[in-house]
Amino acid sequence: MKKNIAILLSAILLLHCAPARYVKPLKKNEQVACFTFGGPIIQFAGAAIPIPFTTIGYARGLNDKVTGYANLHSTSLLFSNLQIDLGTSIALFQKENKYGFSASPALQIATSLKAKNSFRIWPSTDLNFYYHPKEKASYWYTGLNAWFDLTSTKAHQEPQSTHIIPNMHGGYVVIKDKWQHQFQLSYFGLGMANLPNVVSYVGIAQKGSLGFHYALIRKF
Amino acid sequence: MKYINYIIVCALMAFSSCLKLDNNFYNKKSLDTYQLDAYTGEQDFILDASYAIPSSLISVFTLASQTPKETSPTNIYSIYIGDINKISTDTVILYCHGNKWHMDFYWQRAKLLANVKGKNHFGVLFMDYRGYGLSGGEPSEEGMYADVDACMQWLKSKGLTDQRLIIYGFSMGTASATELCSKPRTLKPSKLILEAPFASAAVMVQDASRLNMPGAYVTDLKIDNAEEIKNVKQPFLWIHGLNDNFLNYKTHGEVVYKNYTGVYGSSYMVEGADHGEVPSKIGFEQYKKLIGDFIVKP
Repeated sequence: MKKNIAILLSAILLLHCAPARYVKPLKKNEQVACFTFGGPIIQFAGAAIPIPFTTIGYARGLNDKVTGYANLHSTSLLFSNLQIDLGTSIALFQKENKYGFSASPALQIATSLKAKNSFRIWPSTDLNFYYHPKEKASYWYTGLNAWFDLTSTKAHQEPQSTHIIPNMHGGYVVIKDKWQHQFQLSYFGLGMANLPNVVSYVGIAQKGSLGFHYALIRKF
Repeated sequence: MKYINYIIVCALMAFSSCLKLDNNFYNKKSLDTYQLDAYTGEQDFILDASYAIPSSLISVFTLASQTPKETSPTNIYSIYIGDINKISTDTVILYCHGNKWHMDFYWQRAKLLANVKGKNHFGVLFMDYRGYGLSGGEPSEEGMYADVDACMQWLKSKGLTDQRLIIYGFSMGTASATELCSKPRTLKPSKLILEAPFASAAVMVQDASRLNMPGAYVTDLKIDNAEEIKNVKQPFLWIHGLNDNFLNYKTHGEVVYKNYTGVYGSSYMVEGADHGEVPSKIGFEQYKKLIGDFIVKP
């Protein structure tokens, strides 16, 4: 039964279906389009697979330190849910081509296109560190992310006890002239028990869920 | 360029209702024939020979099941354990099985119920929902309710009355059991037993995401035991494994139990039992006593 429920519920995992956005903010007026693929890893038919969620998005450097972005969660849309994330990536400190810190506050906005009273907003934020080995353009990064649920109740008026979902991630961004390839490993629900649950997440010691993402980014 | 963007957005919106997840909910498996005791596939437990049912008291037959919106019926398979000629005087347990495969998988459970308060003391009827086992058609929530009601129609035609009908749902089967107690159709069961019930699709979603996310993001299925139970006034027994790693007894079963406001509610938590392990962890004798005592309780 779990296998089937996992497919059924795969749509909900879309929440974590994108890698960290623009760990290194863009230059002023620089524009990019991106496509991302991947999500949490679950046990499915005896194999561990990342849920293949996709997003498409656009970002623009508002200045040299702040990048604004918007993403449409395309897989989610195919299942009648409109989900977008709107956010900014802000350079907190950086040494050009060496290392830097950035933050990325965002709003995750979702609604079902079929059901009433389904509009939700979840604030989220990232804090990232990136490092250019040997001052190459490509860079490694690692960071923490958190989603915030500000509601006090959930289904059937039961109290909502989880208000923060902490996540961590690390990855590598390959920089080419026009293209970038971003590879990221994530650990969702840091320290949170993943059982009992109708989805077989692949976590660590039955806590959280590992995830994998890939992003293809095109500069304009 | 802006027209291209507009067209892309419209196309995405147009496609947005194309994919459905609901059909993936059903874990059906077809069969060539029912093997019952000869079935050697995966089962939750296997009873010893002392639980054997004489073949003369096992009847496999088909029923016509039709939802209010359908124009033609679907043939579903059912098994009655007991003497059909005594249904007019016997008490019958209508067992609504879980989401796994077919009646062969649940045969041992049905046999166990047929041994409650002594061998064949109660009649037991169970069925494969449409799409499961040898039953025709494709599963659906409304179809599932119609299938259980088709069993009630058959029982009523054999002389069963409301007072002698007990309905027992396990896991997914708790949806039909609760629904047909909450909104009775052919018969109104006199008692309700739920083993490892889920609260609703919304709770499944929220357990998995940890966020206050509407169930509608994932499914059109209602399967809302937590709300339906509010209409149930019949005596109610809730059984759940404390180690149920699939349907959390706190977020699912406890919510259903808390919302029950009927005449008599009783709960039994089974230490160490995962989903599907309740009868074996509790012990078959204790399980039979629990069910039997609840059924005969005035």
